Amino acid sequence: MPDPSKIKFLVVDDFSTMRRIVRNLLKELGYTQAEEAEDGAVALQKLKGGGFDFVVSDWNMPNMDGLQLLQAVRADPTLKHLPVLMITAEAKKENIIAAAQSGASGYIVKPFTAGTLNDKLVKIFEKLEQSAA
Amino acid sequence: MAKPIKFDESNDNEDLQALFDSIAAGSEVPMHATKPPDPAIDASGDSDDLQALFDSVSAQVGEPTSSVAPAPAGETGSEDSSGVFSSIGQMTRELHDSLRDIGHNQALGEATRGIPDARERLSYIVQMTEQAASRALNAIEIAKPIQDALETDSAALGTRWGKVFANQLSAEEFKVLAADTQTFLSDIPKRTRATNEQLTDIMMAQDFQDLTGQVIKKVVDLVENLERQLLSVLIEAMPPEMHVEPPAGLLNGPVINANGRADVVSNQTQVDDLLESLGF
Repeated sequence: MPDPSKIKFLVVDDFSTMRRIVRNLLKELGYTQAEEAEDGAVALQKLKGGGFDFVVSDWNMPNMDGLQLLQAVRADPTLKHLPVLMITAEAKKENIIAAAQSGASGYIVKPFTAGTLNDKLVKIFEKLEQSAA
Repeated sequence: MAKPIKFDESNDNEDLQALFDSIAAGSEVPMHATKPPDPAIDASGDSDDLQALFDSVSAQVGEPTSSVAPAPAGETGSEDSSGVFSSIGQMTRELHDSLRDIGHNQALGEATRGIPDARERLSYIVQMTEQAASRALNAIEIAKPIQDALETDSAALGTRWGKVFANQLSAEEFKVLAADTQTFLSDIPKRTRATNEQLTDIMMAQDFQDLTGQVIKKVVDLVENLERQLLSVLIEAMPPEMHVEPPAGLLNGPVINANGRADVVSNQTQVDDLLESLGF
């Protein structure tokens, strides 16, 4: 399990309150490094700037939504390795399937608990370790 | 929702009307309780024709979501108008159901209930700003004469002192001037304190801004919400062919009411199960 404080997160959501909540939850779980973006387009810009290890993203956002962001990340050779965890209110099976097929590393449906977030993060890191091994 | 159609050529006007109303009234009247074409309705006894017409209309209208029985046809053979009639009844029913399912009528209701509240809040804001303006003006009206008097009095004294230095006053006048000046000086603190009091009052009168700011924000939220609700009702009310099809299909936001829906999940466990079943 990598050192949580070394992992740099990008939290993407158009609601600043939600960004704050996610950041605070991450901090409580030991992930103290996080930056924010208010839509997919801003997020992609930041990611391309480099230095990020993990993306946590909402779906329903202006300019570029979460699915489009995910697809853009997976299409970019420098970014495609990044874990992308969707945290979204979109609850249609269609959404879940589309996200999975586009390469989402996990899918959390809102409202969610800190426990769920932790579980998903741990699971993603385990998978990463396994594929690295 | 739908307006009654003028239907003047048939005997069974009222029965049709009642049927139409019951369809439009929505789920309270289960459709199977609707009278099927009844020979008693048909004054001329054409129940075979009526049945045929019924079949053709229900084929035309298609499978309803609930078993809406299309209105029995007018016996004068005006098939077009009764087809339209039942289509409208059908659409009305569907609209009502959609709105109810989506929770719009409730949300709209809540949104519109906020309007009297918004009016009250705006009136409150008018009241507060008026009070503040009034208070400020009152204070100014009190303070201004004090300042004016200070100016006048000091100017008058100054003139008299000018005469002293121009050697134009007698010793007696000088003594009077000295006494007057003494009085004037000891009065100054009282007058300036009075002015300061008014200035403080003007400052305090500005506290309305905090209160009105908060209330304005609430009204803005209210209006935005109402606008959103109205727009989405408008969109929902468009006939199906006019609906814009997805990509918006994946941007639905939170599911308000999952009842009867097989296409959504309701909790994280279902999400996880679905992903697992797909091999993710």
